Amino acid sequence: MAAYIESNDVTEEKKQFIAVKLSSEIYGIDIGYVDTIVRMQKITRVPKAQSYFKGVINLRGEIVPVMSIRLKMGFEDDVFTNASRIIILKIEDQGKLGVIVDEVKEVVNLGEDEIDKPSHDAKENKHSFINGIGKNGDELISLFDINAMTEEN
Amino acid sequence: MDVSQYLEIFIDETSEHIQSLSDNIMALESEPDNKDVVNEIFRAAHSLKGMAGTMGFKRMQHMTHDMENVFQEVRNDTIKVDSDMIDLLFQCLDAIEGYLAIIKETSDEGTNDNEAIIQKLNGFLKSAEDASAAEAAAPAEEAKAESTPAVGEKKFLQLDLEEKDKKKIREALDAGQKVYGMTVYICKDCLLKAARAFLVFKAVEEFAEIIVYAPSSQDIEDEKFENDFSIFFTTEEALDKIVAAAKSVSEIEDATADAITEEFLEDAAADISAPAVQEAEEVTDTSTAPAAAPASAPAKPASSGNSAATPKKQTGKPVTGRTVRVDIEKLDALMNQVSELIIAKNSLVSLSANNGAGMQNQTYQEQIEYLERITTGLHESVMKVRMVPIESVVNKFPRMIRDLSRNLNKKMELIMTGEETELDRTVVDQIGDPLQHLLRNSADHGLESAEVRKERGKPETGTITLNAFQEGNNVIIQVGDDGNGIDTEAVKAKAIERGLVSPEQAENLSQKEIIDFLFMPSFSMAKQITDISGRGVGLDVVKSNIEALGGDVEVKSVYGEGSTFTVRLPLTLAIIQALMVIIGDEKYAISLGSIVSIEDIPITDIKYVEAKEVINMRGTVIPIIRLNQLLDIAPPEEEQESLTIVIISKGDKQVGLVVDDLMGQQEIVIKSLGSFIDNSTKIISGATILGDGEVALILDVNTLM
Repeated sequence: MAAYIESNDVTEEKKQFIAVKLSSEIYGIDIGYVDTIVRMQKITRVPKAQSYFKGVINLRGEIVPVMSIRLKMGFEDDVFTNASRIIILKIEDQGKLGVIVDEVKEVVNLGEDEIDKPSHDAKENKHSFINGIGKNGDELISLFDINAMTEEN
Repeated sequence: MDVSQYLEIFIDETSEHIQSLSDNIMALESEPDNKDVVNEIFRAAHSLKGMAGTMGFKRMQHMTHDMENVFQEVRNDTIKVDSDMIDLLFQCLDAIEGYLAIIKETSDEGTNDNEAIIQKLNGFLKSAEDASAAEAAAPAEEAKAESTPAVGEKKFLQLDLEEKDKKKIREALDAGQKVYGMTVYICKDCLLKAARAFLVFKAVEEFAEIIVYAPSSQDIEDEKFENDFSIFFTTEEALDKIVAAAKSVSEIEDATADAITEEFLEDAAADISAPAVQEAEEVTDTSTAPAAAPASAPAKPASSGNSAATPKKQTGKPVTGRTVRVDIEKLDALMNQVSELIIAKNSLVSLSANNGAGMQNQTYQEQIEYLERITTGLHESVMKVRMVPIESVVNKFPRMIRDLSRNLNKKMELIMTGEETELDRTVVDQIGDPLQHLLRNSADHGLESAEVRKERGKPETGTITLNAFQEGNNVIIQVGDDGNGIDTEAVKAKAIERGLVSPEQAENLSQKEIIDFLFMPSFSMAKQITDISGRGVGLDVVKSNIEALGGDVEVKSVYGEGSTFTVRLPLTLAIIQALMVIIGDEKYAISLGSIVSIEDIPITDIKYVEAKEVINMRGTVIPIIRLNQLLDIAPPEEEQESLTIVIISKGDKQVGLVVDDLMGQQEIVIKSLGSFIDNSTKIISGATILGDGEVALILDVNTLM
């Protein structure tokens, strides 16, 4: 019984992240921002938009812009597979935004002590989209700074 | 009493009354002797007072009360309307609007007493009192003179009282008391007449003793009277005070009183025979309102008195449409549902189009067409509910121009047409500021000073026009003046000075391109401090405000003759009729409102002017735009022999858009692209969802011209 209570206490302090795969790395998205996850679907291109915007999709009657995290971070373009997903984020005051990931792995719980500050100096890399490194057992998860990600480059 | 639930109604109605006051005071300025206008103002001020009183807004009540008093005197011809008074009245209106603004925010009227204005109002009253003092010297004589049936309002003089009532009055007179008669008129639409009457009695009894009621107090209590009743009372107080007390009761239209003398009683007796005859005619009249004919009170006012009172009442409220106030959020919800319905209908349509060929089902098709008709109709109805005339915005402008005219010391008049033009509520709410800026611009900088106008042979009074009308799917509002016009040379010089263009480039600029400089943020400011404006509100703000509403603004100007600003606004915001086109493998929607025609042009008919592609269509040279190039779409692999060109127009300009294929006409629901996607080119005005769930973008063709 005592053990149960103890573990329960710990969970309360833990934050939940959706672990997703991009290239070979695992990234974490704070579940508080996640509205829903949908399968890859037809994306309508918007001319003259920023290059990292793939376009817009119809999410149950709502128009939602879809961004490529890969392009935003300067990686090579997405290759859509059966595992590709669009994670719909809900950003305060700005509405919904979809981001494309290669694969959704799992939901992980990370406590304060399991999250480290990013290893690099913030001044060195102004366009960092990572605001923490999570340790899930042996695995390292780069945690996205959602605000930095939704800002203009 | 908790009145918070009435607050919204109060705010709405107060705004209406303020507007009506403003309109009428403007009218009064041009025709100071028009009694109808004075009455209208009096009535509006009075209603305001009553409402403010009911809601417990004492300061507002005080202010309107004093305004009302001034108008009472104007009505009695003891004060003449002059421009000082009009100015003061406008100050009062501003003060009342100030109260209203505070009430809107805090549900309280605030603490500004506006003493200065009230004192000025009272100053007018005082001058009136001095004038009327002389007349008041002979009230008894007047009473006698007025006891003929010709007197309109003083009905108590024509009452044939019962003997016991007469006896009471006689006794009072014999005892040396001062007896007065008073007739009180209650507003026609008052619901609780008896309660109002009771309040009047209470008010009067503070200063006087009521000895006779006509009709009897019992009948009054039972509401067995029409819109007026009379009382006789004895008092030592001044009559004015009592009349004012009676009038201060809300929903009391008017009260008139006079002293009663012995002669009155005799006259009344003598008069009995005359009204009796008339009363016979009146029987038919009263049968329609049986409750109003009190059996126990034969003291029915003579019909002559009635007819004298009626015309006054008829000048009352203008006939307004029956309206229901609906929360805009509820309408938005309804609108959203209609949008959903249209999307659902569209998907049925596309379903039937796909399966159509083999479908045996004729009735299925018919049902879909039926559904289409219903949804379109429903959409139009909902849209219409959201539409309001721009009147509510533009009717404050005459006042503004009047003020500007005084401040700038220029003579000018505003001519408005098309105030009844309707626009979506959201647009109307936001169009006020831009229009105001344009009008100020015209008044301040467009119109020349009187001397210059004279030199140029123009009438001394400058004319500013505001015309609104509908054109296709747009509403056009034009603000024009017959003033100076835009000095394009000066603007050009300024642009060169600011390094926006080189002198060589400037030489080749068209007039329109030069005028466009005025809409540039930094540009207009600098220009304005010197000779266009000093307010720091530039045309750039006007432009961005209007563009935020999905509209645009254009200027035409002839130096020395005047300028016209043309504001074009979309009629509706949410759902439009559109032509669906295909470019490459992408689908786009073009608003049907801007499409002139669709042409099939052989490739050989394409000519070049200044290295740009044009077509010569029925004598008009129209530039063409290849949408695939504009939208970064790969061109079709093999060059076709002819091009499908959609001709669009904006104002008198036309452009041809080359598309690959046409899908047909469709009703589309406009959805926003959101704030994430950079849309600074504004080519895409939004997106829509097609019947099959696919997203198609909407081209804003206005940006292409």
